[in-house]
Amino acid sequence: MQRPIEKPVGTRVEELDTPALLLDLERFDDVASQSVDPLTPVRVEAWIHKTPAIAHRQVALPGAAGIAVRSIAEAEVFAAAGFDDIQILRPLVTSTSRQRAEALAATARLAFEPDRPLRGADWFDEAVSVSTRVVSVPEPGRAILDAGQKSVGRDFGDPIPLGYENCTVSAGSAEHGIMAFPAREATAIGDWLRLRPADMATAFALHDFVYAVRDGLLEAVWPVTARGAF
Amino acid sequence: MAGHGPGRFLMRLTDVETPALVIDLDALEHNIAVVANHYRDKSIRLRPHGKNHKSPQVFAMQVDAGGTVGGICAAKVSEAEVFVHAGAGNVLIANQVVGEDKIARLGDLARRVDTTVAVDAKVQVEHLSKGARESGVVIGIVIEVDTSMRRGGVRTTQQAVALAKLAAQAPNLRFRGVMSHQVPRRRTPTREQRFSEGDRWIARVLEVKRSIEAAGIPVELVSTGESWTYDVAARHPEVDEIQGGTYAIMEVPYAYMSEFRFAARVMGRVIDQADANTAVGDVTIDAIGAPNGVPTVDSPAGLTVVSIDHHGVVLKGDGVKGVSVGDPFFLLTHQQDMTMNRWDRFLGVRDGVVQSVIEAPARGCIH
Repeated sequence: MQRPIEKPVGTRVEELDTPALLLDLERFDDVASQSVDPLTPVRVEAWIHKTPAIAHRQVALPGAAGIAVRSIAEAEVFAAAGFDDIQILRPLVTSTSRQRAEALAATARLAFEPDRPLRGADWFDEAVSVSTRVVSVPEPGRAILDAGQKSVGRDFGDPIPLGYENCTVSAGSAEHGIMAFPAREATAIGDWLRLRPADMATAFALHDFVYAVRDGLLEAVWPVTARGAF
Repeated sequence: MAGHGPGRFLMRLTDVETPALVIDLDALEHNIAVVANHYRDKSIRLRPHGKNHKSPQVFAMQVDAGGTVGGICAAKVSEAEVFVHAGAGNVLIANQVVGEDKIARLGDLARRVDTTVAVDAKVQVEHLSKGARESGVVIGIVIEVDTSMRRGGVRTTQQAVALAKLAAQAPNLRFRGVMSHQVPRRRTPTREQRFSEGDRWIARVLEVKRSIEAAGIPVELVSTGESWTYDVAARHPEVDEIQGGTYAIMEVPYAYMSEFRFAARVMGRVIDQADANTAVGDVTIDAIGAPNGVPTVDSPAGLTVVSIDHHGVVLKGDGVKGVSVGDPFFLLTHQQDMTMNRWDRFLGVRDGVVQSVIEAPARGCIH
């Protein structure tokens, strides 16, 4: 379980313990509200973020109805968080998983066939980032970050450093990101920056908490409750 | 919980819900014994790396087998804390720790056990000294020397000597020595290549060590090497400890270390058969991690992974004819620490029976 240094609501985002999974609430709410049409109900793909607090926000939109998850284990987490209309995308092939579904059906309507379009995968592209700090500048043009594969993921490619247009980041190490930048540009130990993950679902699969931020200030800390419910 | 004793759970592996991370206890014990036996009559010690298994139970097995320093190597302060809470006797954080609050947290650790951290710049030494003073503790310092990876670590001997002088004089710091971490240039080195390359990197860190000593600063600790150099490092009397972890669990690219066995498999089940040559399994990429290529099928025979994503794994081959929906299969990882870091607990299995649930409380400790 992730064990960050806890900071109070209202903390400036730059002061949060790094690495941190950040959700820009203004951007997310903007994109989400423009992505649904009340006349064409959609199911929210909650498996992408695995976070009940985010799914509650999504299903509250007019035009969003119910959620989709991948596994019976994810469905159990979301049902316990109050969701009562859940599509399970993966077929249940064991008697144990079918028994679990029967038990769950007492509190939630379960769907196993497509009934509504699935949406939500693209709502995070501009809203999610992972904050990180420079921990070493061992040679000109090279900085070592405290976020590597275990913080930002590399299953679908390397992250992009935000606000550092001339730089590239390789999450080639489990524990480190390696940032290459033009040697004339100054970067110092302790510098703070954000990385845009190549894949949002991978980023959520690595974190136990997502930090919801508005106007650069921490608004809420939400547990990624279904992380690890494979 | 005590962990790996027999007869505690006795669920058949075939009844396990999937996907599941299963650990072959015979293989794990074998791997741990290989290094422990190799170090039995030598002065070199293993410092087990917590990042590889994230589990104090596995760490306890490593310590019980002998040949260790009795302490933990950790990538992060929060990871080290989990092992100290579970009884690790001392800590080496093989990374730079930056930031006032993180250093304060490191100070809390140093209050409990002997704690050492790696540095490669003056500003880190200054901040650690200030933080240690404020916490009323002494923090041990090793200088990270870059040998082959171009990650953190000083690039020149002069830098190392200057840093050693600074650390040796800084209040509330204890200069201890040098460390390095390296990877082989070849993906599958022969034994001869492994020894010649390993010797070269270790010689580099020892050259730095001797230069620091020549400047009048005693060096008490050389921490270098890892699983692929556990036996190479043992031939250098000046090396005190290696930082090893991969050997215990193992992964496909490390198969050239043939004395170790694969201990970890992600078990899945077939959920669909698209055609006579294609099956789909329930192991998602999130459950195994695949930054270094798709997993390898261990069993059943005749199956190959063609792709893996957030919804499952696609298997092809003659073996598809022999499996039905619901049948289990087993995958080997290409990067074991990424796989272990996805799971909060693993199943310890022997003779097809689940003997124990092994907790991994340091999973996700990225701070």
